Amino acid sequence: MKKVKIIVVCGSGVAMAMHAAYKLREHLENNKIYNTFIEGTGNNNLAACIDAYDMVVSNAEVTIETDKPIFSAIPLITGVGEEELVAQIVEKVKEIGNAE
Amino acid sequence: MQKDNAADLTLSEDLILVDQKVSSKEEIIQKLGDLLTEGGFVKDTYTKAVLDRESVYPTGLAARVTGVAVPHTDTEHVNRSAVAVATLTDPVIFNGMGAPKTEIPVHVVMMLAIHDKTQVIPILRKVILIIEKDEVLKKIWEARDSGTIKEVMQEHIRSVKL
Repeated sequence: MKKVKIIVVCGSGVAMAMHAAYKLREHLENNKIYNTFIEGTGNNNLAACIDAYDMVVSNAEVTIETDKPIFSAIPLITGVGEEELVAQIVEKVKEIGNAE
Repeated sequence: MQKDNAADLTLSEDLILVDQKVSSKEEIIQKLGDLLTEGGFVKDTYTKAVLDRESVYPTGLAARVTGVAVPHTDTEHVNRSAVAVATLTDPVIFNGMGAPKTEIPVHVVMMLAIHDKTQVIPILRKVILIIEKDEVLKKIWEARDSGTIKEVMQEHIRSVKL
């Protein structure tokens, strides 16, 4: 199974992104998903580093053009819609992880 | 001289404002910024940097209990980590984090002054977790004095395991 690289993005600095990244890791482990690599960055750095990742989870509006899947990180912070978001991300991680 | 522990995050009644009557997000950010500046937690550049960041990367969050905003800025404007809190009698509009066109009526503002995000992240995360802990956020929103808010936050920070 392939390692899936996820970048968690916040507006500037990484404080909120780090919180979202920790929570996402907990959720993925609770779903018995261990083949992920999660890092945080600021939105202004996303364009420079996106090629190295398979998936974006962001609490800032993503304005760069990319064909990588993008999810909102906000449910990880408010708890509103969190289960649905986690289910979607779990499915996408499995899809990417199982691809050739 | 007091030893500066980078992993500490100050919660003080002096940094908590209850039942504020303000007419804009700028007004409450300025008030909380003044408290943090007077307390020496942040540099003179902090409040303007928060206001500037808020207009580009807004921090309004629609929690289950009510709207919460977490204005903050880069570590270079901060001397010591602290959280300043305000509850508002009537909500003011913040734009949504990750959704700048969304308007979120906010009753609780938690303004973060982060000095060293790596050191302070464990306790900072506990503060951020308040947003999704309905019973804790409700107690803060409904509190009538700053001492109660401080106690509720400290109790939450003590009890939560990460």
